[in-house]
Amino acid sequence: MAGRVLDAGLHLLDRQLVDRDGRLAGKVDDLELTFPDGGGPPRVTAILVGPAALGRRLGGRLGAWVEAVANRLGDGEDRRPARVSFAVVKRIGSAVELSAPKAELETDRLEAWTRDHVIGHLPGASDAPD
Amino acid sequence: MRLTDLLGAEVIDQEGRSAGRVHDVRLVQDGPPVGGFGASLRVAGLIVGARGIGARLGYQRRHVKGPWLVRVLAGWLFHDGRYVEWDRVQTVQPDRILISVPVRDLSQPEALESG
Amino acid sequence: MKRFVAVALGILTAIGGFVDIGDIVANAETGARFGMSLAWVVVVGVIGICLFAEMAGRVATVSGRAVFDLVRERLGARVALVNLGASFFITFLTLAAEIGGVALAIELATSVNYLLWVPIVAFLVWLVVWRVKFDVMENVFGLAGLALVVAAVALWRLGPDWGGLLHGATHPAVPQGESHPTWWFFAIALLGAAMTPYEVFFFSSGAVEEGWSRADLITNRLNVYLGFPLGGLLSLTLMAGATLFLEPRGIQPGHLSQVALPTLLVLGKLGLAVLLVGFFAATFGAALETGLSCGYSIAQYFGFQWGKFVRPADAPRFHLITLVSITAGAGLVLTTVDPITVTEYSIVLSAAALPLTYFPILVVANDPDYMGDKVNSWFTNALGSLYLVLLLVVAVATIPLMILTKAGS
Repeated sequence: MAGRVLDAGLHLLDRQLVDRDGRLAGKVDDLELTFPDGGGPPRVTAILVGPAALGRRLGGRLGAWVEAVANRLGDGEDRRPARVSFAVVKRIGSAVELSAPKAELETDRLEAWTRDHVIGHLPGASDAPD
Repeated sequence: MRLTDLLGAEVIDQEGRSAGRVHDVRLVQDGPPVGGFGASLRVAGLIVGARGIGARLGYQRRHVKGPWLVRVLAGWLFHDGRYVEWDRVQTVQPDRILISVPVRDLSQPEALESG
Repeated sequence: MKRFVAVALGILTAIGGFVDIGDIVANAETGARFGMSLAWVVVVGVIGICLFAEMAGRVATVSGRAVFDLVRERLGARVALVNLGASFFITFLTLAAEIGGVALAIELATSVNYLLWVPIVAFLVWLVVWRVKFDVMENVFGLAGLALVVAAVALWRLGPDWGGLLHGATHPAVPQGESHPTWWFFAIALLGAAMTPYEVFFFSSGAVEEGWSRADLITNRLNVYLGFPLGGLLSLTLMAGATLFLEPRGIQPGHLSQVALPTLLVLGKLGLAVLLVGFFAATFGAALETGLSCGYSIAQYFGFQWGKFVRPADAPRFHLITLVSITAGAGLVLTTVDPITVTEYSIVLSAAALPLTYFPILVVANDPDYMGDKVNSWFTNALGSLYLVLLLVVAVATIPLMILTKAGS
């Protein structure tokens, strides 16, 4: 697929992230751009996911509020947003397919917390939907 | 840097004229390889205009046809879109991007086939 | 044969599942006040919901993604967030109304105050969402909702002046003594009740829950084009009942018992019992749908795992949101605000927010990148665009009319 042309906003932003097993892993809330050492145009190095990224993108008071919520939930961790390296991206189609399972991604922090502290305690949480 | 730092920034030429705001960033997949994805995505240029609502709906793509009413509206909203190649970008500041080519010399962005 | 049963089941479920507390209240109140003069609005609403539900179902079936999922991709994060805010608020309000509706139906059957039933109802709603399989849930409550047909039976047994009813329906005119703005306001409320946003979210997410694929496209169309109009007919039955029994007596139904009056008078206690089963199933089913839709809309905006097709432990935030929404909805009803009033507000605000919901569906259904060769036909687009213009007019007119007519009093 060398030379494929995409528009970041049209084809990447706000797209669904799907992990290796077909599970949903968040949306592309922002993209990390890195300038190479030797000069030249920046490259997309990672996908940024979560309220910390989305808040900055929404901008204004609304965005600041979303970012503040993210910082609260971050339970003391550094305030940077969850990052999915582009090395883990398998394919960009109508969704962005990843080659790793959800659990290995930083995006799973909140899900894991909710599972461990709330939903996991309810009887039947781990029962397959048969 | 994040993509958001580019989106929405005002694009100004050396004479101080504004080309509008950045509505999208064109990427080309021809950078050094990264992991399982293949060649990485490199920033090729900026899509700029005064009004950008139409751009997001995706009607500039040639194969998107209907509904007619919406397509016409989107086209009108986006009709002044312009393209700035990345090598014409001089400095990136918060909310301002300075370019080295005059605004009147900018051409329209090419419509993409599909995505 | 098995195929036929499955299709028939789908249609019957769609009929029984069409009516909710909003339709019950809107049709009864309209019939009592304006006779059949606003029956045409139900027709307009049914055509609209058929059109967009088919689109939303097709989008989910072909792309494998629920409609709200794609709204953010097409409108961008900012606009979609506004959309989410409005849709979620209205769906939540509708959820509260449905929980209230279930409690009222039980109150009618047991004569025990509805407030005492609210916590139990909320718990049961959550329990079904948590444990019961999606298609079982849909089928049970959809089929049980068919019990509402008893109202049509009662109407037929009564042997009313069919000509008179038909005349009223086909010659829409503002009755003597009523103002035009109020008439239009009720029209908007009826439209909002027929075309509630959550129906579309739920239908689309449901298609993904049940794993529909291209082979199911025809089933999708049959369910919608046969099920929804027949459901609309059921709504009109309630309107006719109110026209015949409440309008002549000048009764404005403020209580579910008044809606049940025609059936009770014609078919006696047995008829009433069947009707109550129908009320219960329709409102409980709608409570399930709105509860799930609260979870669907937020999860689909932020992109985290949703759905009953995975273990609850694999969709923890989705289930948390659903749980909190149901609890908060019950909380709203427990403030003793009249559930009928909550219903009235939910349908009117639904009408005001319809363009927000339906515009993205129209755009997505035309996108070949999601739909392949199953994009809208020119006819669907023409009709859809027409409806969008209509819905915009309705949206703009709603709040001024509400203020002008003091919410139709």
